[in-house]
Amino acid sequence: MWFNLAWRLFRHEMRRGELTIILAAIVLSVAAVMSLSLFSERLQSALVERSSQFIAADRVVGGRNPLPEEWQLKAKELQLNTAQTTYLRSMVFANDTMTLADIRAVNQNYPLKGDIKVADVPFGVGEVIKAVPGEGETWVESQVFQTLGLSLGDVLEVGDKPFTITRVLSEVPDAGFSIFNTNPKVMIRLDELQDTGILGEGSRAWHDLYLTGDSAVLSDYADWLLPQMDSDLHYTRSIEDDDSWVGERVKRAEQYFLLASLLAIVLASVAIAVAAQRYSQRHYDPVAIMKTLGASRKMVQQVFLLQIIFITVLGIIIGGALGYGVQAAVASAIQEQVAVSLQSWYWGPVWIAIFTGVVCALLFSLYPLLKLFSVPPLRVLRKDLGANMSSRVVQFLAAGGAIFALMWAYSQNLKISAILFVSGIVLVAALLVVTYGLIWLGRRLGKGRMGAWQLAWARIQRRSMDNSVQLISFSVTIMLLLVVLVMRNDMIQQWRDQLPEGTPNYFMANITEAQKPIMEAHFAERDVQTETFYPVVRARFVAVNGERVNTQITKEDEETEAQSNRRDAFGREANLTWSYQLQNQNTIVAGQWFAEHQEGQPYGMSVEARTAERMDLNMGDVVTFNIGSEVVEVTITSIREVNWQTMQPNFFFVLQPEAMQGFRPTYITSFNLDTERKDEITQLLAPFSTVTLFDVDARINQLREIVDQVSLAVEFILVLVLIAGALVLIAQVQASMDERQQELAILRTLGAKGLLIRASVVFEFIIIGVVAGIMAALANELTLYLLQSQIFDMRGSLHFEYWVIAPIVGAAVVGVLGAISCWRLLSLNTSQLLRNMV
Amino acid sequence: MNNAPEFMISTRNITKKVTTSEGPLQILQPISFDVKAGETIAIVGASGSGKSTLLGLLAGLDEVSSGEIFLDGAALHQLDEERRARLRGEKVGFIFQSFMLVQSLTALENIMLPAEIAGLDNPAQLANELLDKVGLNHRGNHFPNQLSGGEQQRVAIARAFITQPKILFADEPTGNLDAANGERVEKLLFELNESAHTTLVLVTHDSELADKCERQLLMHAGELTEKGKSEPVKPVGGKPQLKAI
Repeated sequence: MWFNLAWRLFRHEMRRGELTIILAAIVLSVAAVMSLSLFSERLQSALVERSSQFIAADRVVGGRNPLPEEWQLKAKELQLNTAQTTYLRSMVFANDTMTLADIRAVNQNYPLKGDIKVADVPFGVGEVIKAVPGEGETWVESQVFQTLGLSLGDVLEVGDKPFTITRVLSEVPDAGFSIFNTNPKVMIRLDELQDTGILGEGSRAWHDLYLTGDSAVLSDYADWLLPQMDSDLHYTRSIEDDDSWVGERVKRAEQYFLLASLLAIVLASVAIAVAAQRYSQRHYDPVAIMKTLGASRKMVQQVFLLQIIFITVLGIIIGGALGYGVQAAVASAIQEQVAVSLQSWYWGPVWIAIFTGVVCALLFSLYPLLKLFSVPPLRVLRKDLGANMSSRVVQFLAAGGAIFALMWAYSQNLKISAILFVSGIVLVAALLVVTYGLIWLGRRLGKGRMGAWQLAWARIQRRSMDNSVQLISFSVTIMLLLVVLVMRNDMIQQWRDQLPEGTPNYFMANITEAQKPIMEAHFAERDVQTETFYPVVRARFVAVNGERVNTQITKEDEETEAQSNRRDAFGREANLTWSYQLQNQNTIVAGQWFAEHQEGQPYGMSVEARTAERMDLNMGDVVTFNIGSEVVEVTITSIREVNWQTMQPNFFFVLQPEAMQGFRPTYITSFNLDTERKDEITQLLAPFSTVTLFDVDARINQLREIVDQVSLAVEFILVLVLIAGALVLIAQVQASMDERQQELAILRTLGAKGLLIRASVVFEFIIIGVVAGIMAALANELTLYLLQSQIFDMRGSLHFEYWVIAPIVGAAVVGVLGAISCWRLLSLNTSQLLRNMV
Repeated sequence: MNNAPEFMISTRNITKKVTTSEGPLQILQPISFDVKAGETIAIVGASGSGKSTLLGLLAGLDEVSSGEIFLDGAALHQLDEERRARLRGEKVGFIFQSFMLVQSLTALENIMLPAEIAGLDNPAQLANELLDKVGLNHRGNHFPNQLSGGEQQRVAIARAFITQPKILFADEPTGNLDAANGERVEKLLFELNESAHTTLVLVTHDSELADKCERQLLMHAGELTEKGKSEPVKPVGGKPQLKAI
């Protein structure tokens, strides 16, 4: 019986539009989660695909010794694609001169992701080539041509074997990005490496196995491989655990998508809670009637629970379809720019969307339903009797618990969930205080002649409890939208700030003191601006507090490149610089930056924080360096945090300038040259044959491209969340208009002018919108500070502009929505208004 | 042997107290009276005199503060809400001033509702018969807000009779209707009541409607007196006869 009754009620109420708001809220939650998750999954996959080009594979396994044969056999057995390289440093010879080069011996399959680019002339624009050097051939980078005075077709000796230079190596996908300790690359075939004789005992070579394939198979392979790996000898790399510039950005974008999705869930939950409250209130009479006519509590529960289940199922179906449609539209719109594939399908987001719909619908309607079930039958005689439950503890526990559980389950990140949750609670607590202040104000302002403002204040005061709930939900919605918006602005701005127009795309090293002024003038003549010249001296690291550091050096020597390129810098040798000027994006975390040196005082040195930690260096430690035959002793006077994400030379050790008097440094500098002027490079460097040039133009362009793609994706996500937020606001206003209908009907019946009624409602919404905007702006600052400092590793800042914008936009949006809903109601005549009241 | 009690309703010293912001308030003074099976009585009185409160107690919609109520032999004052609901479903019909129809069900479905709750067979058939009796067979698929006030009250009357209740409680059944519709509803109510031999307890301040009942009780400031007498109403029977439900 109860099934039929529930179905009948559902059918009729659907047709009569009674369930529109709660259904819309469920549809919204499912659609938001579905579209965001699916889009984010596709986007991440596209970005990972794009980013994986930076390691030339999906995953790389490597080691200091040749890798066991069975590792490759197993990969082939699992039908993974493989490629192999061996990488080592060695001197190369030509024309009776030599230079240190990074020898990269590759097999036919290299690279599995990304492309090798070659040019016809040194420093020329590279073009993609789908091949590796032929037998007896080598491709070398421009610096080798420059240093050894070579041309194409010349012979270059690598160890015992001569190779003919057939191409200028312009770019390899997994080159990495480092100005120091990077030697020009020389690419040869892997099967010819043995003939060179450079791969002997004690040579520092890295042997890499590149892998691509299905992620599940790769994961199986990793499970098989990991127990066999020796952490001292072997390493693995994938874009997910890549801490490079690109890896960091992909991770942050993922965190942002996660944040946006979490906020979409919270928004949807708020919408469901509002709609469920309204649903419950509109069913007080039917429940009282059913109970009066003999229905047991159990029967009432079954009928209305079943109805919620029907709504939920329908909401999930419609929401799922809508969510798919939205993400498909967005994905297809940006397919060109981000290469998002619409072919691949992911089941994960579908389950998450269904799970979210079910949990949101059931948990957020729990308290309203419990209230509904407790409506006494006596309500049929006394309309003033509502539900018997007065405590909101259950509501707060159920809703709060559900939100937190959903966030945690979805993000698998306790920290991000806790930050959002705690900010939400602080906001709610603050809003309760404000609400009571507002009610107190309303008591004073609502007196006197009944104008629109008085009516508005009087209503705020009279409906204090409802208004507090409404104010909280408006504020939470606006706050969440602000968080997503400001976070996106800050994040993209910081990325772009790190790669502004004019970012140096060429670096030069080995500039002598004498060349410095000539170079500045020469470049200036050709309208090229050089950046700061940093003095550099190579020094040997000898002792800390008088104790020799051999053991540390030995340990460093055994570490792999993958663990850290930077550690090499403080192996046996380190690049020292000196300056009175603290570099941009360097922050002192202990001690003080140098003042002028005082006679009799030790010389100071500033150490990069992570280096200090790894080498166990502390403030006050005395460090001894050997520079040629000289010994320099310095005391650590400060420790710095360095932002390695910036495209500028950064140093582990910066010394007080007086300590380095008498040493003849070489200099490092950088400059920016438009890609179109690339052919001027040879001419620019012609007078400086000893200077080494590092061309990072292609790399900078790649990075900028990725930032643009990620930014575009982030903007689309923002638009989706804004739409979700707008729908929540509409649902809230509609729900609250429902409650105002009776009063409007009475005022209308008593002959109040439409203008007065409309103005009073709009003023009421404007007041609520302004307060919600102010509270949201304040809560936004707290949430952003916590998110940026704790999760996104960004420097937090205050956003005063939103303190003004949020209340204005809040008032405007909520006021306009209120006016529209009010206009809709006032377009009905009095009798229709009265009839609509249940 | 007929086990049916002689009195359909018996009350013994029932009171109702509520707590207000200004302290406890006694709405009903101790009231004791009996209503015979098949009898029609009207409880009349001014607004706020406690008529509806008494109706709520007699119908088992509310609990007494003290005293005893027996409904067709069942000790209503001893029953919890679930058992009172079952008793209402089996024995009681209701008609309200504001009709109290479920807005999302059609006229026919509203009439079917008590029969469905009680688990009767063929509720739709029963409802159609009653719809016919109240002259609304052409309006069965209309929703309450598509019906006039008089039509809605006729639907409510049909709904009240579908389970063939032993007692019918009517709270100001014509209070929201114009004279013509009020008269029609009144006529219908008494006709159906007579044919079903139902005990009718009618709360009204309409003296003409009250005059149609066999007995009138006057409620004033929480006290109940027989119309025309100054003494509080007294029970006519002895100790009420209990009947298992």
